[in-house]
Amino acid sequence: MPLNQDVLWYKDAIIYQVHVRTFYDSNGDGIGDFQGLEQKLGYLQELGINAIWLMPFFPSPLRDDGYDIADYNTVHSSYGTLEDFHKLLDSAHSRGIRVIIEMVLNHTSDQHPWFQESRSSQENPRRDWYVWSDTDNRYTGTRIIFLDTEKSNWAWDPISKSYYWHRFFSHQPDLNYDNPAVREQMWNVMKFWLEMGVDAFRLDAVPYLVEREGTNCENLPETHAILKDFRRRLDEQFPGRMLLAEANQWPADLRPYFGDGDEFHMAFHFPLMPRMFMGLKLEDRKPITEILQQTPEIPSSCQWSLFLRNHDELTLEMVTDIERDYMYDSYAENKTMRLNLGIRRRLAPLLDNDRRRIELMNGMLMSLPGTPIIYYGDEIGMGDNINLGDRNGVRTPMQWSGGWNGGFSTAEPDRLYAPLIQNPVYGYPAVNVVSQLGSGHSLLHWMQSIIAVRRSTAVFGRGSIEFLHPANHRILAYVRRLGNESVLVVNNLSGAAQAVELDLRRYKGNIPIEMFGKNIFPRVGEVPYLLTLGPYQFFWFRLRRI
Amino acid sequence: MAEDTFLTDDFLRQLINVGEVDILVGLPTHNNAKTVGSIVKTIQSGILRWFPRERAVIINADGGSRDGTPEIVTSISIDDVRRGPNPYALRTLHSISTKYATTPAAPAAFRTILAAADLLQAKACVVMSPESCSVEDEWISKLLRPILNDGFDLVTPTYRRHKFEGVLITNLLYPMTRALYGLRLREPYAQEFGFSGRLGGEFLPQNVWDDGGAGSGIELRFILSAITAQHRICQCFLGQKDHVERRGSDLVPALRQTVGPLFSALEPDFPFWSAVTGSQPLLTIGPHQEVLLDLVRVNRKRLREMFTAGVAELATVFQSILSPDTLAELQRVALLGENDFDYPAELWVKTVYEFAASYHKSVISRDHIIQALAPLFRGRALAFLTEQRNGSAEDVENCTESLCLEFERLKPYLLQMWKSRE
Repeated sequence: MPLNQDVLWYKDAIIYQVHVRTFYDSNGDGIGDFQGLEQKLGYLQELGINAIWLMPFFPSPLRDDGYDIADYNTVHSSYGTLEDFHKLLDSAHSRGIRVIIEMVLNHTSDQHPWFQESRSSQENPRRDWYVWSDTDNRYTGTRIIFLDTEKSNWAWDPISKSYYWHRFFSHQPDLNYDNPAVREQMWNVMKFWLEMGVDAFRLDAVPYLVEREGTNCENLPETHAILKDFRRRLDEQFPGRMLLAEANQWPADLRPYFGDGDEFHMAFHFPLMPRMFMGLKLEDRKPITEILQQTPEIPSSCQWSLFLRNHDELTLEMVTDIERDYMYDSYAENKTMRLNLGIRRRLAPLLDNDRRRIELMNGMLMSLPGTPIIYYGDEIGMGDNINLGDRNGVRTPMQWSGGWNGGFSTAEPDRLYAPLIQNPVYGYPAVNVVSQLGSGHSLLHWMQSIIAVRRSTAVFGRGSIEFLHPANHRILAYVRRLGNESVLVVNNLSGAAQAVELDLRRYKGNIPIEMFGKNIFPRVGEVPYLLTLGPYQFFWFRLRRI
Repeated sequence: MAEDTFLTDDFLRQLINVGEVDILVGLPTHNNAKTVGSIVKTIQSGILRWFPRERAVIINADGGSRDGTPEIVTSISIDDVRRGPNPYALRTLHSISTKYATTPAAPAAFRTILAAADLLQAKACVVMSPESCSVEDEWISKLLRPILNDGFDLVTPTYRRHKFEGVLITNLLYPMTRALYGLRLREPYAQEFGFSGRLGGEFLPQNVWDDGGAGSGIELRFILSAITAQHRICQCFLGQKDHVERRGSDLVPALRQTVGPLFSALEPDFPFWSAVTGSQPLLTIGPHQEVLLDLVRVNRKRLREMFTAGVAELATVFQSILSPDTLAELQRVALLGENDFDYPAELWVKTVYEFAASYHKSVISRDHIIQALAPLFRGRALAFLTEQRNGSAEDVENCTESLCLEFERLKPYLLQMWKSRE
């Protein structure tokens, strides 16, 4: 299956986020690897996704699960070789699956040779590759991101006898982007992977590239200028590739990352995600519609990226204090589940393993404007282990079968990079791919079908959105439009059956055709269109005029 | 579920859109545009501040306003279109209105509110007066928390009032209700009170809505019903009660709304109150009441004239209602000079009890009985105002307590009158 050559391919993408280490171990050492992932590409193709986002696979001391990079130009030996990666790339492309890889621009591991050189002396040529200071009181007022572990954004280096700046863990010193050599080197890194055939980068932690006194050191104009330069070079030398921004910011602050279509192609819509969970718990669409109404228009070539969960905690940075308290009380009563300003749980446990709510949330993910990302394992409803520390509880081995090591590895269980989920509800004997493939009504089959319906039309990925505001606040309803095609989406956020009257006069004369069963519903007329929905039920209607 | 056919289709549709709620605030209105705006904003503020996570609704039962009252009430809804003053409100807040009639009728308004509470499965409800300009957002919390958190079914208010405010309550309604129903409930005729959905659901199907006699003062009937059903009741200090300028001509309507329903209730409640002796204190959150002592002008001369004239002009009416001894005593009091005027507690209690008994027997038209009480109440009010002219807060409280004990002491007298009239 050849790759779609449309330069806007990312608008039609269904992205699957996966860590090589977690997916499949091909050589029995207890750690997932490139060859293992390659072997499972058929599964992903059957699922219906057409892009994979690989979490960092670079050499690293793994003190931040690979986001602390010690070498940008090769792969971690635990996952295989560069050749293995190249083969994975080719194999994915042959199945019509694009490959997005991480690129951590903001910082390196303190084990990276660049930092080792930089710290060695003030005269070292790489001294200025990082942000050094004789005192720790520069850039005061800059928020600390990893609140649970870090007390300052400065760390004292005993070798260099000075402080270095780090927005994340103290073992992740920030690169100095005021240094042209740094910028040039990072472009060369990106170029290395682009020449290999990688389709896109998820650029990690982009708001923090540049620091300036008297600011909050986030989203600065200088940062945008650097990113725009990367984009310009990308378009010139590698047209059709994509940049995805990881910028956990309010919508208004996210907008600049798209520029005039000359910066990022995509950005994660961080503020929407917690509000989907909030709307579900409140049984009220208000949090969802409000954040989307506050979301600014973006250039036509750009796209939001939507997600329910990922490898990090469910972030509650971009919500108000009242909302955060509500989310904690609703979803993380057990304080062990809370990390930094978030909740470190997977999708299914967050939703009490309620199949209806899981379907509803995925329904919204697939129908709201943006490109959806599925976190590995959520398609089968995997659980988590909050006792594993940091965010490792949501990064456990993929559960392929009910057999040895959940089908993940042939190694001895105590050699696995992380223990499998074993409790009776979410453990691998109960939740695994083989079992769900064998059951026609499994969550996995349902995910396959909703992805197929999503991909059957371009309207979800490329269309506009018009919210309806029925008086019943438990109903989230909107119309997606692209050209002559219109799709009406109606979601019941409540656990009780609901009746709703929709004002569809604009669509008078259209016949709603339910998109899963393809049954026709009564024609839209002048009077309010009455629908009744079961608990957490949703409808997708194609509106046809015949 | 109540079988309500008086709810309009439009209102039902609105209720469907609201769905199940935790809290319902009922607001009966009729041409209250001047005051209702600030009140609904305070209600909204109270809900957002004290109950930000609860599902809440404001139900306006309107009696045919022509001044835009309903529109003012519904304008404070908060949803994803109208965000209100608080941009961080977690939830939608519906504020909906229905016209229950083209002319105001308190029972119909209250019934509408109860029906909505029943249909929406409200856990806790509060009724607010559309005229209370001194309302604070904390009142919402005070009236609802005992229900939501502590399992009470009824929360009645106590207030900070001027010592000469609420004389009808302190000299008749409170002491009589206390003596007969055995509960020291300071405001038996409350305009702001909280109740559980459970209590509302029990009261809704009762046959009280078409009874012309009990039609007005339905709130009093509701509270008495809670007492006789032995629901958990407490009272809560709210704060300042608005001073309402009353004209002399307002007294008869006030008596109709309060004393009439009280007298009417004595019949069906006879098995209950006849068995009660003494009275029990009520859990009170905050002070029982607070008394303001600033100087106010009282037209005592006018009160005395109206009392004296009433005693004379209604002599034949009083002969039907009162015992000869009581009537004779009243006529003696009517002849007292201005400086000697007194309407002793015992005489007043006997007066009230004989009126109640006569009302029970309908010796004459019941409405005439109520009207005839007016001049006598003025006499009692005069005595109270004179006695407490320089009285302290403690003096006022002692006077009220003393009167209550007199009502309790003479309860057997009422029973005797009651039975003798049968």
